[in-house]
Amino acid sequence: MFSMGDETNPLMMLIWILPIILFVFYGQQIQLLVTSNEIKKGIKKLDGFRVNSKKELIDYVKENIPSTIDPTKKIEQFLDYFTIMPVDMDPNGIVDKVRHTVRSRETYTRNHVKSLSPEISEIELSRIQTLLEIASSLQMIYKIVNHMFLTAKKQKNYPLILPVQMILPFLMEHAKAMNAAIPAFKKGQPLGDGIGPMVVGKMMLNTEKEIISFQTALAKIEYKHRKLFLLKAEGPGSTVGRPDDALQKIVDNNKIDAVIMIDAALKMEGEDSASIARGFGAAIGGIGTEKFQIEHIATKNKIPIFSIVIKQSVTEAITLMTKEIADQADNIRSQVYEMILENTTEGQSVVIIGVGNTAGVLQ
Amino acid sequence: MIFSKEKTTLAYTIEKCPKCEKLHRRDFSKGDVLFTNSSKCNFCDGITTIEKIFGEILER
Repeated sequence: MFSMGDETNPLMMLIWILPIILFVFYGQQIQLLVTSNEIKKGIKKLDGFRVNSKKELIDYVKENIPSTIDPTKKIEQFLDYFTIMPVDMDPNGIVDKVRHTVRSRETYTRNHVKSLSPEISEIELSRIQTLLEIASSLQMIYKIVNHMFLTAKKQKNYPLILPVQMILPFLMEHAKAMNAAIPAFKKGQPLGDGIGPMVVGKMMLNTEKEIISFQTALAKIEYKHRKLFLLKAEGPGSTVGRPDDALQKIVDNNKIDAVIMIDAALKMEGEDSASIARGFGAAIGGIGTEKFQIEHIATKNKIPIFSIVIKQSVTEAITLMTKEIADQADNIRSQVYEMILENTTEGQSVVIIGVGNTAGVLQ
Repeated sequence: MIFSKEKTTLAYTIEKCPKCEKLHRRDFSKGDVLFTNSSKCNFCDGITTIEKIFGEILER
């Protein structure tokens, strides 16, 4: 009855034709249905991260801040705070505007956290500030993905869901990393990103330190008849400091012949974790305002910038430092000294900047 | 997933004695900060400092 060779069989024809008709008229809806299920799973995970980060933050504040007021309402209010970036139709002066906006937000966050308890220590404050940023970022990611998904579903528009499907794995990687970073920040442990401060912090030990700019420490040492200005964020709080402001102050009062920056860098797929690479140019991440300022100072004063980067994944960079990365610290330090000797002569001055979050790293 | 192993990150602290240069590995405890003085050296009368803090992933 169902012989394959019989092409005139009406039942066989129906079996072949029906799916073709179905896919021609309802193909997009079927694809939308299949893709929707995958995205729904992702959104459920993002919602889990969002709820978890908020809970962890509230628990941390309740456990560590002596206050009679319940912080839940204040924290919930803050999580919905947004930042409107300056208009860039005329890019002239945009960096100053972005810097002003970002720093205003930082100041607001600090004051907001301080208002929970005036006697809060600087270290606790920096940890809570970081946890707030994580919870707020996870909330934002969830809201955006959910909005894009619901809009596509509402419009029954398959092409609208494609960008969500494409970007979701990358967003999930970042969100997972941020969620995994929470315990390290709560315990004040060094992160993979802290390798720069770790290297410079050890060089600063047993020297006189001063705070040169906001949350940024400076130490001056001599090395083989060269003057070294060592810069890192002030540890052990969770901060990246303001190395751009610090460099400006140093350059204003001293003749600098080279800048060496040590930072964590995102590894490419296939690259080994904790591998070291040397290069030129300012090695510093973030929104770009600090990089711009450092490059501006270097260009204006004709100072070459050398960099040493330690490759790692997104997750490794913001979670507890791995053994492989920690084991590279001495090697990086010897490469820094090598770089100083290769690129400067006796009597010259070098600024060494340990870039990154200095949580759990003293100087 | 049925076949995926559960991953746990264990944090460790490495102490180094500046006098006898001996290293000692122990579990991370709250308040550990890199380069701070930690405990009395087990091999001499020196005071150890925290040299490294890192995590190792345990799969079960």
